[in-house]
Amino acid sequence: MYTPPTTSTRGRVRLNVGGRVFETTAATLAAAGRDTMLGAMVDASWNSGVHDDPAPAEYFIDRDPSCFAVLLDLLRTGDLHVPPGLPEATLYREALYYGLLDRVRSARLGGFDPDRLRLASSVHGRSPGDGVAIRAAPDGGCCVSHGGASGVVRVYNWMLQERRPVYYPSHAPVNDAAYLDASTLLLAARERPGRRDDDGGVSSFSALTGETRHRFRVAHDRQPRSFTATALAFDGGCDVFASCKGRINEYGVAVWDCNTGEQTGFFYEPPGCALGEADRLQWLDGTNTLMVATMFPRTDSSFVSLLDFRDKSVVWSWSDVGTPASLEDKHAVDAVATEDGRSVCLVNQYDDLGFLDLRKNAASSGGVRWRSRSKLATMSGGKTKTKKAACGEETCYPKLAAHGGRLFASTGDAISVFSGPDHVMTSTLRCSNGGAICDFSIGGDRLFALHGEENVFDVWETPPPPII
Amino acid sequence: MSGGGPTRKRNFKIEAFKHRVELDPKYAERTWKVLEHAIHEIYNHNASGLSFEELYRSAYNMVLHKYGEKLYDGLQNTMTSRLKEISKSIETAQGGLFLEELNARWMDHNKALQMIRDILMYMDRTYVPTAHRTPVHELGLNLWRDHIIHSPMIHSRLLDTLLDLIDRERMGEVINRGLMRSITKMLMDLGPAVYQDDFEKPFLEVSASFYSGESQEFIECCDCGNYLKKAERRLNEEMERVSHYLDAGSEAKITSVVEKEMIANHMHRLVHMENSGLVNMLVDDKYEDLGRMYALFRRVLDGLSTIRDVMTSYLRETGKQLVTDPERLKDPVEFVQRLLNEKDKHDKIISVAFGNDKTFQNALNSSFEFFINLNNRSPEFISLYVDDKLRKGLKGATEEDVEVILDKVMMLFRYLQEKDVFEKYYKQHLAKRLLSGKTVSDDAERSMIVKLKTECGYQFTSKLEGMFTDMKTSQDTMQDFYAKKSEELGDGPTLDVHILTTGSWPTQPSPPCNLPTEILTVCEKFRSYYLGTHNGRRLTWQTNMGTADIKATFGKGQKHELNVSTYQMCVLMLFNNADGLTYKDIERDTEIPASDLKRCLQSLACVKGKNVLRKEPMSKDISEDDTFYFNDKFTSKLVKVKIGTVVAQKESEPEKQETRQRVEEDRKPQIEAAIVRIMKSRRVLDHNSIVAEVTKQLQARFLPNPVVIKKRIESLIEREFLERDKVDRKLYRYLA
Repeated sequence: MYTPPTTSTRGRVRLNVGGRVFETTAATLAAAGRDTMLGAMVDASWNSGVHDDPAPAEYFIDRDPSCFAVLLDLLRTGDLHVPPGLPEATLYREALYYGLLDRVRSARLGGFDPDRLRLASSVHGRSPGDGVAIRAAPDGGCCVSHGGASGVVRVYNWMLQERRPVYYPSHAPVNDAAYLDASTLLLAARERPGRRDDDGGVSSFSALTGETRHRFRVAHDRQPRSFTATALAFDGGCDVFASCKGRINEYGVAVWDCNTGEQTGFFYEPPGCALGEADRLQWLDGTNTLMVATMFPRTDSSFVSLLDFRDKSVVWSWSDVGTPASLEDKHAVDAVATEDGRSVCLVNQYDDLGFLDLRKNAASSGGVRWRSRSKLATMSGGKTKTKKAACGEETCYPKLAAHGGRLFASTGDAISVFSGPDHVMTSTLRCSNGGAICDFSIGGDRLFALHGEENVFDVWETPPPPII
Repeated sequence: MSGGGPTRKRNFKIEAFKHRVELDPKYAERTWKVLEHAIHEIYNHNASGLSFEELYRSAYNMVLHKYGEKLYDGLQNTMTSRLKEISKSIETAQGGLFLEELNARWMDHNKALQMIRDILMYMDRTYVPTAHRTPVHELGLNLWRDHIIHSPMIHSRLLDTLLDLIDRERMGEVINRGLMRSITKMLMDLGPAVYQDDFEKPFLEVSASFYSGESQEFIECCDCGNYLKKAERRLNEEMERVSHYLDAGSEAKITSVVEKEMIANHMHRLVHMENSGLVNMLVDDKYEDLGRMYALFRRVLDGLSTIRDVMTSYLRETGKQLVTDPERLKDPVEFVQRLLNEKDKHDKIISVAFGNDKTFQNALNSSFEFFINLNNRSPEFISLYVDDKLRKGLKGATEEDVEVILDKVMMLFRYLQEKDVFEKYYKQHLAKRLLSGKTVSDDAERSMIVKLKTECGYQFTSKLEGMFTDMKTSQDTMQDFYAKKSEELGDGPTLDVHILTTGSWPTQPSPPCNLPTEILTVCEKFRSYYLGTHNGRRLTWQTNMGTADIKATFGKGQKHELNVSTYQMCVLMLFNNADGLTYKDIERDTEIPASDLKRCLQSLACVKGKNVLRKEPMSKDISEDDTFYFNDKFTSKLVKVKIGTVVAQKESEPEKQETRQRVEEDRKPQIEAAIVRIMKSRRVLDHNSIVAEVTKQLQARFLPNPVVIKKRIESLIEREFLERDKVDRKLYRYLA
């Protein structure tokens, strides 16, 4: 990126930015790329006739010099160092002017390392209801869905600036959200009884402007029907899945093409297998299957199934119906498939982790292998209980996530990270204010943790690696 | 400021701008004018007078102050009007200059578009995504497509020009490929759909009709070889064309057009073309043409199978003629050599022209298997061929040559269905070679045995190996005999005994003849020596198989050493005591079987140059009333005279029948053993399944006849190995 200066002045560039003079080389600026303002500025097509000039090329830029110094430093070294006193918002604005915002982002974020996470900021929301779900965007932004009757989803860009919120049409309550890409948000909403037909369902929105892109409709026997969508998944290609519950018991998982919004299939719920009211859908790349998890307390028992949409078959399924009475008070409340696609990790309301082997038939494998609680988990579990007691009815069941070969589990006000093939707990993320964590999400090199009270979410990032 | 030309008046402009930034309601209009002017200047190649930083900032300000839409629409209108002008200038370009002009304008437009995008970069990043507009670069391409490529005056002219140029190149003219390359690349840059709809599709249609016509013309006037040459050249030309100036994605499409029009549509006509089709190529070893045909036909569906089918039927037909032609059956060595030559010829064709294609090799093998087994004397002939080679044919050949020949024979052997017949003959021929000491190379013999062993297993060759062992032990025994008994024997005739294990050798029991007393004494001594050293054995003299070297003195005192068979020796020894003997006398004294005696006398009295006996009356054949005399007048240039037995190399008809019968006899226990093996494991099986299984088990050795299998099953039922099921008569049960 940075070429050592030569004795000749050829290739040198003098920049007068808002009165302050900077000297650098054309190569440093060109390294920013032709699609940036500085790269285009030194490009040959804008400098015909300057070639023979022995003096350094000189440019005047009518912008703030202190921000420019930071950005020039970024171009020279690849590192972003923001001096104290320089507001980040100003820096981002200037970076956008020069077309360097993406570079700033990748220097600012990047290299998600679950073992070196630091709390970067806590963001306070302004919505009336408490947040119920948080989703990380692929570029480091996020969205927070709020309960209550507002149907509002707050959207933040990666600079954690709030964008226009997304409202589900007619303010239907939002159950689940998913990013198709950094600028497209998918929402699943609940149909409210007594409203007009067009109430709940699934829609995609522009995350930039909040405008509706597509309504994803469901038809049964070629008749469009309204429905409640409880969970969403995206396979990374063009298929969008949603767990759907129709008014006249059309339960199942619907599939749409995300580009056109056309329905391409519907997997009707077979007997003994809950699909239409799932808590979590997860696409498993390795096996080309969709995991559907329906959990206590939404239903009396918990169900996990793997669906293959190519031949419309249930390739694997498990449920805790008929578990011995001694274990009856323990229920799996969240499930996530590990990234290798070999097992499903479960967690119950007492923060115990359990595992199901996907390679074996669920019936023959002897069900869940529950792990005895580690000491730390017990401690944090205890704390949660005291909190619960203090806050009355408010409870937050634990949640799970799998990312970068690790398992993450929220237990009370902390998130535990489990590593290795035996899932040993290696670190705990805790921020004392905000109460218990009701949801968290990992993406865009960040971890977002939404607290159940006080309308606040934490942003965890990996700091830049040490210089040596 | 509105009058600001291309001269540098930076400072002035900036000041004016700063003063008016908030208040002037005409601010947006003025800024746009500046940018519009810049866009025109860029198109006019006047960009050196423009300040990039300033233009960038102007565009930024417009977007910042919510004039993004005005900016975008302005850009779209300005570019559209520029492109309309450009379109006019392209339209007016005459003839050949049309493409040049289009290309030059396209280059200009691209460069301008890049610079316009540079100054509007901020709009591209902020306004365009939120307002869902098309990014600047894409917009520029779309406008070019709509106003230039799809302009009614240009659209069809462009296509016609391109197709015309390609047609001219096909006819041999030289065209500007660089320009063609640029134009097709432009179409690709505008999107694959533009390239496909506006060029590729019509191009493929025109090509199809061109090649349909051309192939019709070629096939009327060319022979197959020439046609294929032309097709190959056309195919290469098209691929070359794609690599020079079309998109790589077109290659598969255009080659499939050529393949269909030039090859697939004329496939059968080409293969069966009179005097130059596939069969002629095979006959004349036209490797180059065959290779070309293979390379071209493999490109089309069913192409190779067409070649293969024709080749197979040709091979079967010629092979059938080869093995059934009675003329050819006269000389077995020549017969096998022809088969080998035929195989070599086609092996070479497959390896040189057909790229060693496995399916062709299989077709060749199945054809050989088909016709070799049409003649049931093939096993005998192949064994005779080996016999011939191992007797004399390999003299002077190196070890490698021997291996090559034996390997080739093995290849033919593999085609045989009746491998056990071959084994029978091979055993006979080997025995003759070993006993007469006529094998050329022990290594070659053993190598052949090893090959048979790897091909058919231990069982197949165990008896053959036993024969070799017998030869070796005999040698040792004889040495020992002479070492221990030499004093006892004194000056008598030297005896060389081959002790043959019964069963290993194809011996026919024949009553021993009366040996001369001199020999008989030595024989008796050997018998007592041998039985003394080996307990519990029985020795039987096979006088029909031995040989003898005897010394004879003729009328003028000349001495000759005669190499004769044991029978001949017995006959000749009689003449030590008598000058003339009748046939009856000889028969009585020697007790040699009549047919052998006749042959024996024939060889002694009727062969010119070897007639040590004289027969009266003189005639070719021996009759029972003949009288024989010692031929005093016998002369020969050689000291050693070999008197052969008159024996047909080939088997005579009754012998053949006999061998056949013995083979059939030998098969019976094998078939029975197979049936018992199968039933033992299956317990219950129906008739057809047994026949199928037995055939499968035995096919390495021979192809059992279903009728014979049925007879064997009946025999086994009689002997209570099996029984018929009481309900279903088709089922058999195994009786343990």
